Amino acid sequence: MKLGVFLSDYRTGADVLDRLTADKLGIILVGNGVYHATIKENGKACSVLDKKAAYYVLSEDLECRGCSAANVDSRVKVVTYGDVVDLIFNDYEKIIWI
Amino acid sequence: MGKLTIGSFSSLVGSMSLDFAVKLSEAAVQKGHKVDLWTSGNATMLSKKGQKAFKDYSHLAKKVQELVATGNFQITACEACAEARGYKKDDTMEGFQRHSMDWYLASAFSADRVLHIGGD
Amino acid sequence: MAIKKLGFVVRTLPYKIEGSRLAMTHAISSQTVEIYLEDGDNVEPVVCFIGDGVLNCLKGHQAMKHYGITSLEQHIKNSLLLDLNVLICKEDVERFGIKEDALIMDAADIGGETNAKIVPYSEIQKAMESADHLLFC
Repeated sequence: MKLGVFLSDYRTGADVLDRLTADKLGIILVGNGVYHATIKENGKACSVLDKKAAYYVLSEDLECRGCSAANVDSRVKVVTYGDVVDLIFNDYEKIIWI
Repeated sequence: MGKLTIGSFSSLVGSMSLDFAVKLSEAAVQKGHKVDLWTSGNATMLSKKGQKAFKDYSHLAKKVQELVATGNFQITACEACAEARGYKKDDTMEGFQRHSMDWYLASAFSADRVLHIGGD
Repeated sequence: MAIKKLGFVVRTLPYKIEGSRLAMTHAISSQTVEIYLEDGDNVEPVVCFIGDGVLNCLKGHQAMKHYGITSLEQHIKNSLLLDLNVLICKEDVERFGIKEDALIMDAADIGGETNAKIVPYSEIQKAMESADHLLFC
């Protein structure tokens, strides 16, 4: 299946995410989930980004929190709400929110 | 163009997940898609008329009514969840429907994509 | 004639937030969705409990006694009474050290004939793959 996962939290959801498998997996960081794309702890990038998937981060939620696209991990693509709509309809047949 | 059904149970003002649902709905409608937004649980508070706009709080009522006016957006509150919270039919803003939970499932039946946001 | 499968995947704990309660009540509402659909069309829910969500399935809820509300236990039993497919993740049950006899597995006391099933996560993955839409709660 082609699965798009909206990850909306920073501290929770990783356990569910770890178990998800799909032929095509996209992880869209929204809400507090955007911190996965920009924050490092003890110098290390977030382990959520190690999963084999396409990563996206919502620019509006990033900027809302004072984070800059310039600080986004190179593995993550910055997208807008309009881009998210296209991802939903064109790239992923099922979408979930965690 | 397609149809997106979104189910949101998140609180108005208390959680910005509901803001996400409305902004995603707007973006989808702007791209020519149809959107059904189902509000259940605490999200039913979005159906209440008379919401006041303050800069410090999310104000979604105006955007919701603009979206309803496009004809490509339906927003529905769970009647039981609304009534449990004291929101009566007369309290409901214009354009906001009220139905039982099976309406959401029926909307999901005909949707191309379903995003269930749940509650927080 | 079309049947759309909806996978309700419950991963949250009961009572503090309403996610798992609303998952159950929405799944149960599949009983009346036909009134909105064309003849022969229907939805088929499957309810999967994973992660912390398996704790919804512990027997002996006393929500009615202490809070005056229908318990999640009652909702799970109602769903079994209505022959809904209820799957509980085996690995998560084992991780919490829960034995089968501590779980809500049937609704025999209210006349139900369908049992919940404790299945490996791989079976839940298959259920998710075969669903038309997924609703994570």
